[in-house]
Amino acid sequence: MAVTGLFSRMTFLDRIIVLTLLVGAGYAFHVAAQKKDGSRVVVEQQGKVVFSAPINGDREEIFSGPVGETLVVIHNREVYIGRSDCPRKICMGMGHIHRSGDVIACVPNQILIRIAGEEKGDDRAYDILSR
Amino acid sequence: MTEPTTSSVVDLPELETIRRQIFLALFIALAVALHTLEALLPSPVLGLRLGFANILALTALFLYGARAAWIVILARIFIGSLLLGNLFSPGFLLSLSGGLVAMSMMGGAKTLFGRFVSPIGVSVLGAVGHIAGQLLVAWLVLVRHGGLWSLFPVFVIFAIATGLVNGWATVLLLDTLKKHPLFSSKGGNGALPPEV
Repeated sequence: MAVTGLFSRMTFLDRIIVLTLLVGAGYAFHVAAQKKDGSRVVVEQQGKVVFSAPINGDREEIFSGPVGETLVVIHNREVYIGRSDCPRKICMGMGHIHRSGDVIACVPNQILIRIAGEEKGDDRAYDILSR
Repeated sequence: MTEPTTSSVVDLPELETIRRQIFLALFIALAVALHTLEALLPSPVLGLRLGFANILALTALFLYGARAAWIVILARIFIGSLLLGNLFSPGFLLSLSGGLVAMSMMGGAKTLFGRFVSPIGVSVLGAVGHIAGQLLVAWLVLVRHGGLWSLFPVFVIFAIATGLVNGWATVLLLDTLKKHPLFSSKGGNGALPPEV
C-alpha cells in the first residue's frame, strides 16, 4: 500500500535520481568486491602508523585515544573493534573487514584501522603458498 | 478565534509575512524536537541518523522556498546542537557540513528542476548530500585517509532508503497542510505548490 503510494507520487525525474544513485552505489560495491584479501593490519592515529601486524595471526590490541580505549581484535583473518569507549559505537557497527583497502574508523577516538595488501608479485607468491 | 484568519481577500501582505514567520518558527521548533529525539534513540546499525528533521526543511522548501529552508536547517543544527551540548564539537561539525551540502543540493534541485521533482526526489538527493558532506569533512578534518571513501556506497544505500521515507512523509505532510485554508489559499496541486 504505502510502497505503491510512494511510487505513484514520485515524478519521472525522482525515479531517475533514485535509480542513478542505486546503480552508482551498486557499481561501487561491485568494484569493492573485486579487491583481494589483504595481508596486513595497519592502525593509524592522527595520521601516524602506530601498529602493524599480519592479518593471519590472532591477537588483540588496545589503543588509547581522546575519549578512552578501543580494543582492536584480529581473529580468523578478519579485523574488528571488540570494544570502544566512544559514545555512539559506530566503529563497532562497521563490522569485520578483511579485504585490502577496507577500513574501520573510530572518529571520536581518532583511530583508523586499514587492511594493507602486498606488492603485485608478492601477492601471487602468497596465493600459491596459501594453496 | 474572533478574527477571520483565513480570508485571503482581505489579507494584507504584512499579515502574510507574519503568518509565514510564525509557521517557520514552528517548523524550526519541530525540527529541533526531532533532531533531539533522534539523538536519544539508540543508533541504528552503523550509527547513522534517520534524518527526520529534514522533513521540516523539505516542507519549508516546498511551501516557502529555498531561503526559508536554509533558515530551518541552520537554526535546527545550531539550536539542536546547543540543546544536546555538542556545539562546535566534531559531531556538530559533521552535522553542519552535512546540512550545508544537503541543503545546497536540495535547493539546487528545486531551482533547477522545479515542477519535475517531488519532495521525494529532493529528499533522496538531500540525504545523499548529507552523507557526502559528512564524509568529506570527516576525511578533511578527522581522518585523513582515502580508504574512508570505501564506506560511501554503504552510506549511500542507507541514505536512499531514509530519503525515500522522509520524502514520502513530506508529501503526506504537505497533503495534510494543503487541506487547511491557511495553506490552500494560494492554490496548487498538493505536492507542487507555487513558489511564494
